[in-house]
Formats: sequence, C-alpha cells, structure tokens
Amino acid sequence: MPTDTKRVRGPEVSQSPSLFDCRPSVVPPSHGARADGRQRDQVDVRPVFVRCGLVSQAKGSAYIEAGDTKLLCSVYGPRETERKDETDMKCGRLTTDMRFAPFSCPERGSWIQGSQDKNFSLMLQESLQPALCLHKYPRSQIEVNVMVLENSGSVQAHAITCASLALADAGIEMYDLVLGCSIRQDGSSYVVDPTYSEESNWSSSEHQGGLTVAFLPSLNQVSGLQSDGEMAEETLTAGIRTCIEGCYKLYPVIQQALVKAVRRAQPPPPES
Amino acid sequence: MAAGFKTAEPLEYHMSFLKENCRPDGRELSEFRTTTLNIGSISTADGSALVKLGSTTVICGIKAELANPTVEAPGKGYIVPNVDLPPLCSSRFRPGPPGEQAQASSQFIADVIESSEIIKPEDLCIDRGKLCWVLYCDIMCLDYDGNILDACIIALLAALKNTRLPKVTVNKATCKPEIDLKERHELPVHKHPVGTSFCIFQDSILIVDPTADEESLSTSRLSVVTDEEERLCSLHKPGGTSLSAEKLQTCINRATARQREIQKLIEKVLNSVKAAQ
Amino acid sequence: MSPTRLCVPGDKLCSVEDCILGTGVYLRHGYIYSSLAGYVLKKNEGEQLPVISVVRETEVQLLPDVGAIVTCKVTSINSRFAKVHILYVGSTPLKDLFRGTIRKEDVRATEKDKVEMHRSFRPGDIVLAKVISLGDVQSNYLLTTAENELGVVVAHSDAARAQMVPISWCEMQCPQTHTKEFRKVARVQPEYLEA
Repeated sequence: MPTDTKRVRGPEVSQSPSLFDCRPSVVPPSHGARADGRQRDQVDVRPVFVRCGLVSQAKGSAYIEAGDTKLLCSVYGPRETERKDETDMKCGRLTTDMRFAPFSCPERGSWIQGSQDKNFSLMLQESLQPALCLHKYPRSQIEVNVMVLENSGSVQAHAITCASLALADAGIEMYDLVLGCSIRQDGSSYVVDPTYSEESNWSSSEHQGGLTVAFLPSLNQVSGLQSDGEMAEETLTAGIRTCIEGCYKLYPVIQQALVKAVRRAQPPPPES
Repeated sequence: MAAGFKTAEPLEYHMSFLKENCRPDGRELSEFRTTTLNIGSISTADGSALVKLGSTTVICGIKAELANPTVEAPGKGYIVPNVDLPPLCSSRFRPGPPGEQAQASSQFIADVIESSEIIKPEDLCIDRGKLCWVLYCDIMCLDYDGNILDACIIALLAALKNTRLPKVTVNKATCKPEIDLKERHELPVHKHPVGTSFCIFQDSILIVDPTADEESLSTSRLSVVTDEEERLCSLHKPGGTSLSAEKLQTCINRATARQREIQKLIEKVLNSVKAAQ
Repeated sequence: MSPTRLCVPGDKLCSVEDCILGTGVYLRHGYIYSSLAGYVLKKNEGEQLPVISVVRETEVQLLPDVGAIVTCKVTSINSRFAKVHILYVGSTPLKDLFRGTIRKEDVRATEKDKVEMHRSFRPGDIVLAKVISLGDVQSNYLLTTAENELGVVVAHSDAARAQMVPISWCEMQCPQTHTKEFRKVARVQPEYLEA
C-alpha cells in the first residue's frame, strides 16, 4: 500500500472496537414496527430539517437533516472551466463531488475517496443534470460539493434533494427541483427512507434490494434511478411509485425552505 | 461605491479602515468574531464538536480504534489529527489530495497536541506492549472565512472533552479484547490549549482573528497557543514581515485572555449538553 | 397591495396567453414556469400582455455576455495584448474569477497600427471594456476598449503609487509628482463612476 505523505499518519493497522463487541448485535426485526417507530410498508419518511445559505463562501448552499443523516452541500460557479479541453462553447458543465467525512459512518472511513464515493457522485450528477438549464451558462462550470457529516441511511436520496436545494439557492436556472427518495425491499415487505442499520441488515436472502429514485416533482419526470439487489419486475415498479410518493411528501418542506431563504435574503421588490 | 472599491483595490480598502482603528466588518482590531460551539452532534463519532467563528465553520469528529503500540513506545497510544480543507468550504480549494495549507494545518495541530500534553499518550494504553487506542481526530472545514487554526484547536479540544471511550477488558484465556460499547468513560483531558491568531499589516498594525480577505492581504501571520496555566504551547510565525518583541508580548497577553474565554465557553456548553441528557 | 408572490424552480406561473416571457422563466407545453427561486414580477411595458419575470436580488446577469460593459483589472501586458480579470458585469460584481484579453487591435478605434500596449495599460489599472466575443476553446473572453467611454478609469502612478488624474484621452497625471503617464483613458460616464 502506498504511504500517504500528505497527512498525519497513524499505525499501519487499526481495528474498529465494534469488531470486539461482547454483546450480540441486534438484528432489526423484519416485521412489525421499525426501530424508530415508523411504519413498515408505508410511505413513512423521516421528518426533514432543511436550511439554505449556511456556507458564506459558496454561491449557494443547503443543509439537510433526516433523522440522524446529516448532509451539507455547497454550490460554486458558474465559473471558468478548469480544464480548457473540456470547455463547451454552447453549454455549461456540471461537476459533482460527494464525500463522506471519516467520522460519518459507524466504521471510520478513509480520507481517500473510494469507488463508492465516485458512484455516488456520478449518480448525483446524472440526477441533477436534466433539471438544470445548462445552455444558459456557456463555457463555464457549476460545481456541486456534498459532504456527508453523519450517515444514518438513505444518503444518496437526501444528497440529491440537498444538492438541488443548494443549486436553487445559488440562483442557477433550473427547470425543476430534484427530490430523492429511497426504499429497501426485504422479502415481501419494504421500508421507506431506510436507516443505516436497515440498509446493512436484512433477513431474507432473496427478493431483497435497494432502490433510489430522483424525481422532478413539477414536471413529473424521473431523472435518476438506481437499484441494487434482486427484485421482481412488479416489485420494482411498485417501488418506484412508492419512492415518487415519498418525494411528494418532501416537496412542501423543500419549497418552504427555499421560499424562506429568498425572503431572508431580500425584501420583496417594490410593485411596479 | 464601497463594493466597487473593495473588489478593485482590496488592500487600499482594508487600509482605509485600519487607519481608523476599525475593520470592514465593524470589529475593533483586537476583537474576535462571535464564537459558537455545538458539542456531540455527530452520533457516529466517539466525540464531536462544531465550532463557528463568525462564518468560519469547523467540525471535528473523533473515532477511536484499536491497534498495537509501537515497539519503541509500548506504553503509549496514538493520536492522529488531520485537517481537511475540502472544495466544499471555499472556491480556493481544489478536490484531490490535501494541499499545502491543509498539510501545514494538520502538522500544526499535531505539534500543539504533542507540546501541550492535552492528552497523554500513556492514557491510551490498554495492555502494555499489546493493545492501545488510536484516536483519529478528523477536523474538517465546512466554511472557510479565515483563521481556521484557532477554530480547529477549539473544535479539537471540545471534541476531546466530549469523547467517551468504550470499556475494554482483555480476556485472559484468549488474549482477545472484549468491548462493551454501551459502557463508556470519559477521556482525561489534561490541558486546555487555545489558539489566538493575528495578522500583521504593514509591519505595525496587528489584528486578531483575521477573515479570509484579511489573511490574504496581510504581510505576516502569527499564531499563539497558550493553556490555562499561561504556558506557551506553540508560537507559529511563518515568515513574512518582522515583529517587535514588545508587540509579541501584546499578542501573548491577548492569547491568555482568549484562552480563559474559550475554556469558559467549552465548560458552559458541556454543562448544557449534560443537563439536556 | 397584494403581497408579492414567491416561487421556486418548476412552479407553474401562468399560461403563455396571459404573459410574455421575461427572465428567470421558461416555456413548456403552453405554460410559463419559473426557473429560479425568487419573486414573481409582472410588468406592463406598453405591450398588450405584461412581461412576467422571476427576480432575486443576487446576480441578475451571471456571466459576461457579448456587448456587456465590464470592469476589469489588468493583470499583465505584453506587446500584443493585455490580460485582465473581469470584476464586474455592468454594476454586478462577479463572485468567481473570469479572465479576459484585450488585443492590441482592440485598444482604440483609430490609428490601430500605432497602438503600443505599454502606452495604453499598466498592470493594476482598472479598465472599462466591452465584451466582443466569448472567445473560443483556447482563448478567454475577448474585450475591446475602442470607444471614447471605454478605457482606463483608475490608475496609480509609478512614482508615488498615488491615484492619477486624467488630463487627456491618452494621458494621466500624478497629483503628487506631476509626472505624466500614457494611458488609453476612458471618458467616464456618470453611471460608471462607482467603479
């Protein structure tokens, strides 16, 4: 393994204390109420707290908290593209970077970006791009940075919502907001907006998987879809519908947060 | 008018304020921005703290892991501090490996930990020569508006004060550690170092707690770290213009006053966190 | 007076038959939608239909566009062109850095072949210029100062670093040392005085 000379290094190997836990780990039940009291098989999303404009240096920013999942997103640009060869004369570029703080998961993560982070970033970019009026920003780039401060499940979905909120806060022209929602299928039942332990533990071996949908609520279009695991076709279609329903539950909260941010930033213009 | 002057002639703009003994944001030369502290907000970390110095925001999360001590120091654990300046916090930072400033900050924090004895590495020993704790102190800037060193030290100190390590017993028969994640104990924090940073304009004007703009325009910087016994833990002046011994003494005096304010603030927030539990 | 309506991107505002499209809005299937988070503004501009726009205080125009008047700071010069940083578009400050180039032939309108760059600009000068092209993949924004109103507005003298006073369209004078320096001076219009 190459040594990292740009950081303060610790011992070569260290192990998480949870590996030596003397108490047996509790497997979340696969039926009945969920650990946090929410309903199974229903569109029961966690209440979200959202706030715009927290990062002073950024053009726009948003913070989202759903249960213990905490994400911060900042948007920079439009500004000159960094790499001249990628400059597009007609259309702007959207770059996304999603990262996990090392302390965000139960197991400590590395500072170095893994392939998982890159997949997340890519999905984020693909979900947001259709919503942006990129043709209005020729030869420039718009940067979206997402930092996961605490991962308590459904980070991908909340990152999409958070990023679209930050883009709107930055005053980037968009066709619509983008909202994200996840479900976890476990055998015949499913949970909406799963927590970290619900994402990583499951009881049945077949017919289980995760699904994340990015949705444009006003245009009624799906801009991003990611599914893993193994699900029957009907389950998947039903799952997408459930996710869309979950997005609609989020929509008023997001709208209000944005309206509040606009009102805070400036008084209404005089009637003319 | 003011906004145009500021972008076109930033140095002249700042100097016009400094000549009147005040600063563009309305502060006096020796005035800190409002410092706010939030302790223990990250439940996935063993200890955490979020510090805001004006708009500058820094979060520190501490994760404890188990490792074998080195042969040279069998009775000591490890403390691994790292400062990250992600592109999220300012447009001046690019994605990729840590830049010069992040590396220098990490090293500075590591030096402060070592010289101030905030945590004694001996306290992290579990089984001499066999098992010890590693404290990963990951400090991340979320909003960069200058003076991150001071913010980092406060975040680190508050997070360490908040850290609860799980109980470890070494099973005599198997020599394997057994850990009770539910039963946790506090980490002994021996000293309370607090940093105070200054910027120097034109050899003579000293300002405390610089913003990002002030940092980039100043001719020199200085960071002083002191603890509750008014001991000088670290003094960092990376190049730039010279500074008289007299001025340096003023800085150290300001730093000791600041240390008392911050220690009080941390105690206050910790007590309110405890009361809420 | 009814409270001004607020909207977020994707909000349906009205039918295309009721209003003309302004800024911050887009058309889809015969309806006008908002593309910004901001205040909905309807303006009657003599036409039959009012113009509908969505406005927010920050950044009306985000990018330098062809024909826009920009305020820039000269960063470097050579015999063929001057490199500048664009600071303002109109009176809107840009948050991020955009670079532009003023070529020798675009400095002034007359006697283009006699232009000497170092007698027109110096690094550090504040210049008013107009965008003539967005440039191509290799180059930056192309700017021109070939109008009476365009050119250097603020310059500091070599000798005393004092702000100089324009004395003609091609000369500025230092108020302290009274030395004269050559510049392509702008005839400053009152609305640009703030630069």
